[in-house]
Amino acid sequence: MPVIRTAVAPPAARRRGGIPPYIPLLIPAVAFMLLVYAFPFLSSIVTSFLDQQGVPSLSNYRRTVDLYARDIIFTLLVSVSNTAGTILLAIALAAYLRVRNSRMSRFIGHVYKLGIFIPFVVVAQMMRTFLAPHGLLNVTLARTGFIDIDSPLQLFNFSGLTFGFMWKLVPFAILIIYGGFQMIDNSYLEAARSTGAGFFAMVARILVPMNKSSILVATVLVYAQIVSCFTLPYMLLGGRTPTTITVDIAHRVTYFRDYGSANSLGVISYALVLVAAAYYLKTSVRQYRQGADNA
Amino acid sequence: MRKVTVCIFSLVLVLTFGGLVFGGGAREEAPTNLVYMTAGDVNMLALGQHVLGPQFEADHPNYSVMTIHTGPGNAGSQRILEKLLAERDAGREKWDVDVAMVHEIFMTWAMEEDLLQSYATELDTWQYVTSPFAKSALGADIEGYAMPMFHSQTALAYNPEYVDDPPASFEELVLWVQDNPGKFGYNGIKGGMSGVAFTTAWVYWQTGAYEKYTSGPFEQSEVDAWEAVYEELADFNEYVTITAGNVGTLDALNRGEIWMGPVWVDMFFTFMDEGKLDPNMRLALPEPGLPGQPMYFVIPRQARNPEAARDFVEMVTSPTVQAKDIVQRFNWYPGIDGSYIEGKVPQEVFDTIYRDVSPADLARKSQAFPLADYFSAVVESYERWID
Repeated sequence: MPVIRTAVAPPAARRRGGIPPYIPLLIPAVAFMLLVYAFPFLSSIVTSFLDQQGVPSLSNYRRTVDLYARDIIFTLLVSVSNTAGTILLAIALAAYLRVRNSRMSRFIGHVYKLGIFIPFVVVAQMMRTFLAPHGLLNVTLARTGFIDIDSPLQLFNFSGLTFGFMWKLVPFAILIIYGGFQMIDNSYLEAARSTGAGFFAMVARILVPMNKSSILVATVLVYAQIVSCFTLPYMLLGGRTPTTITVDIAHRVTYFRDYGSANSLGVISYALVLVAAAYYLKTSVRQYRQGADNA
Repeated sequence: MRKVTVCIFSLVLVLTFGGLVFGGGAREEAPTNLVYMTAGDVNMLALGQHVLGPQFEADHPNYSVMTIHTGPGNAGSQRILEKLLAERDAGREKWDVDVAMVHEIFMTWAMEEDLLQSYATELDTWQYVTSPFAKSALGADIEGYAMPMFHSQTALAYNPEYVDDPPASFEELVLWVQDNPGKFGYNGIKGGMSGVAFTTAWVYWQTGAYEKYTSGPFEQSEVDAWEAVYEELADFNEYVTITAGNVGTLDALNRGEIWMGPVWVDMFFTFMDEGKLDPNMRLALPEPGLPGQPMYFVIPRQARNPEAARDFVEMVTSPTVQAKDIVQRFNWYPGIDGSYIEGKVPQEVFDTIYRDVSPADLARKSQAFPLADYFSAVVESYERWID
């Protein structure tokens, strides 16, 4: 197949020494990105290293480690474990939707998407009443005799947070992973079935290995959403400790107008997602190159 | 395409004439704008737009009240400060804002910058003001510069079904939580101001240094000595439920998960009115008290219409408006002395609002928040020693 190069400036422009014609076209988009993303990002990093008087110092980081070390670890634990849980559950459900073709699977295939369209703040408000000590869940369990309402399940903590995150993010992860699974030709699954492979063997030996990239994308996006989520931990945990970095950031700003420490917490959260983001970028660049090579 | 052109043309027209009116270039018949800038929650905007504005315009047909809302919390007051600072620094003769509604912290900032005029003592309604908050705010001397519009107060809400005899003091409260573990709930310091108010009251009670913390000067040695105070609070916390915010405390109370907790009184009554809280719930204000805070009317030093602004403040602080709108409609405690509104609100409303916490209780047990530095220390010490 002939390779068509359209985005490269004609050699004449280069010889004249003028600005390649694509530069002016890029300016609006690049300027927008610089102004709206790069500038606040860099300025938050810079301010995190300035004290209240604007003098370079590490005081914000000292305060952050002093007061919020436990919250940082908590955030990391919440993010990693919930990402793992979300992805595993999403793989299982996506595989079920892919492999089974029953009325039930078609029904689930339609219903699961609902969660994607509900914002976190609404999910948080739902969870606040659903998971409360005398909320819907506990009252139902008490009426059916599973628990005693005087010692209900306490869910305004790590468990409740996990429930909320999964409720909201599993559908999102399914959407990505199921999309990947649909790209796999039926013949692979039929071949596996005809040689006696069960559901788990098909998932572990065919669907997952052939879909690493979509699973990776889902993992990174889910992880980043959990690290950056403010409303769910704020509304569910309230004043409880430990809490997440995002709640601490709001706290530093609301009560102390302390943008320095808030920014240092922000920088730490960048670091938390940086590893995942770097991996995501590397993978997408590799895919892009592979795509280009194939073309 | 034609519709778009018409839309753009109308927009330009509106903007041009709006600008003329705002800039004072209006024709003589058009009413003068009285610019009222308010911090606070959206209910403050509703109050200005739907209640105070129309009432003032009815009495002063040559004025039109323009309500501008800057947002909740100290950040809302901060924006008003920035506007006034900008006008002062630009060296303008007449400033846009005629009257503003601000938090306590604003008073400390604005007094330092000399942005306000002294007017309150000249109002007819000043005679009804007895609150100490009208004289000082977070340690700043503000007498004359601010007129309290309403007072928000924290108190212990309790469920009389389970609590016959609410604790009359913090000592009794400590014993009560030990007898009823998990049944007292508050929201710590990251879930809203009712928890912060409770923590502040705890520090006042344990140190007995209310006067010092509210009038100054700030001494770091005081703060360093608080470790024991917070250790006691950490022990206390062993027996309590930490709730999910101001609303979280009220919800938990309503669902019967907790039997007692500190709440904002106005939220308590509003929730009851809206059917979100069991109307049998009661309030108590234990010794030595819990903090509350007013919101104030201020008039900028170079306000364009200072006379009308004074009339506006006088109207809102009159016993009639205080009774009907501030107390009855919005469930705040009045900015003026509660005894002056008696007879002006239906007796049952007066009895409900003052049933458990009387005007005398408020005068004696309503505490102020401490000086800004102590306030930060109260919150940060909690993080340091309890979290």
